[in-house]
Amino acid sequence: MTTTLTAPRDRAGGTEHERRHWHGANVWTQITVLTGRSLRAVLRDPRIVVFSLLQPLIMLTLFSQVFGKALMGSIASQTDSYINYLMPAILVTTGIGASLQSGVGLITDMKNGVLGRFRALPIRLGTVLVARSLADLFRTAVQLVVLLLAATVLFGFAPEGGLAGTVSAWLLALLVSWSLTWVFLAIASWVRKEEVMQSVGFLAMFPLMFASSAFVPLDALPGWLRIVARVNPLTYAVDASRDLCLALPVGSGVWSALGTSVLLLVIGAVFAVRGFRRPL
Amino acid sequence: MTRPPIEVEHVSKEFGKFRALDDVSLQVPRGSVLGLLGHNGAGKTTLVNILSTLSPPTRGTARVAGHDVVRESRSVCSRIGLTGQFAAVDEQLSGMDNLVLVARLLGAGKRAAKNRAEELLELFELTEAAKRPARNYSGGMRRRLDLAASLVGHPDVIFLDEPTTGLDPSSRMGLWRIVENLVGDGTTVLLTTQYLDEADRLADSITVLSSGQVVASGTAEELKAEVGQRTATATLADPADAERAVNALSASGMSPVHDAERHVITTPVAASHELAVVVRALDEAGIEVSGLGLGEPTLDDVYLTLANSAHQAA
Repeated sequence: MTTTLTAPRDRAGGTEHERRHWHGANVWTQITVLTGRSLRAVLRDPRIVVFSLLQPLIMLTLFSQVFGKALMGSIASQTDSYINYLMPAILVTTGIGASLQSGVGLITDMKNGVLGRFRALPIRLGTVLVARSLADLFRTAVQLVVLLLAATVLFGFAPEGGLAGTVSAWLLALLVSWSLTWVFLAIASWVRKEEVMQSVGFLAMFPLMFASSAFVPLDALPGWLRIVARVNPLTYAVDASRDLCLALPVGSGVWSALGTSVLLLVIGAVFAVRGFRRPL
Repeated sequence: MTRPPIEVEHVSKEFGKFRALDDVSLQVPRGSVLGLLGHNGAGKTTLVNILSTLSPPTRGTARVAGHDVVRESRSVCSRIGLTGQFAAVDEQLSGMDNLVLVARLLGAGKRAAKNRAEELLELFELTEAAKRPARNYSGGMRRRLDLAASLVGHPDVIFLDEPTTGLDPSSRMGLWRIVENLVGDGTTVLLTTQYLDEADRLADSITVLSSGQVVASGTAEELKAEVGQRTATATLADPADAERAVNALSASGMSPVHDAERHVITTPVAASHELAVVVRALDEAGIEVSGLGLGEPTLDDVYLTLANSAHQAA
């Protein structure tokens, strides 16, 4: 950075001819460009993908080995293998874990300073959030596919619903994940502190996960926990995913899971954009 | 366009009870550099944030490039470049990708974005590092990339918020030259800094902020003249004489200040012949002096005098 910097004077600001102003990309371009940016960041750091896969893989292994035999009796009416029972739940809980990470990621991004630059650009700030949620959704989709493959190859996952049932369960898990992403983005854009975000997430996630039908049938839970589990929205998401995956009769459960997700998505999005617009 | 690119009228900003800016007004003519000087917390960054549309003023109006920063923020955004205290680049992306990203968001097509990015990388001597992720850049390179990113859209107005904080001397000089070139192109610059030599070197006019208020403004020369006089500096041979020296000078109508760390007495002198008064006063008091000098006022003096007096008045 010494001598040559003085030379091309006309190029820093551009010649009069060049000096036409760009007035901001359209919303579609904003979203695709920003989504590309977030995805590229993930691809550049594959550790993120590997580590975020590790946790569900460990859970899959532990639960299938620990609970598998013990629970066969109580799930026999639904399926003949615990892995088939477990996998739809793993899809949903992994998806929700990823939503929490979106929130944490947004806060990291805020610190990074690049969001400050976006704020001073002629773009709609909401597109930054949409892009982030889409990139994370894509990542989650890939993760879940990897998990499904691992479950099939390693643990003999072969649900009664076949490919069609598995794909529908996958799509449902993604929708649940996407809607909760917006909830966590909303919390993140108001809280703006990583530690707080982590503990909010931890407090919300663990009771929700275990006081539900995710890992054991409701009947196997003690009475008071069964009551909690029955009002736990996660139970409905997991049950819906399981209905699809195991080719059980699809009742109102799937529809209420879809409806709740869309509702959460809209509420989350409104608060996320509003919170995010507040000055840094 | 005859309006000045930056116009600030009676702007105040309050955060709860805390008043960060208090009735600030200023104008920056096209193609010039305004240096905004002040302590930490004087309100410099708050003003930059208001002008770059990041936060609205509580009262008053501000126009940048002819547009109101609140009502026409998008128009303002497409005309400004902002370089903050911390390099606002995406650490994960390469230098090239960072610049292309900004160009695309501004509305450039893929080709045009890439061309603009290459142009700026070359100008800022980052071509070799273009493909490396920015997290592997040195502090100086990051700052250069940050400045390059704020220039992508050929802005009319650039805000530099303490642009050389934490840079080594040669990187600072490099950045100064870049800024000088930009101004040569007709770009208007608002620069905040705590470094007085930086303002002295780059700024056409200087505004001193203290506790959110404008306490002085003018060219560096005007400010120096306002604070006035040159300063006589006497270094004492025996530090124990300090009190007697101060008394002797006060008795001759001067206003001496004792700097205990350096064992020197400084006193403003209105005209050259007053130096003789200093010498005589010290001599008559029998105080031995190991050094004596007459200094031109520096921006430091201006800054300290104004900012301190404002502090004390507050």
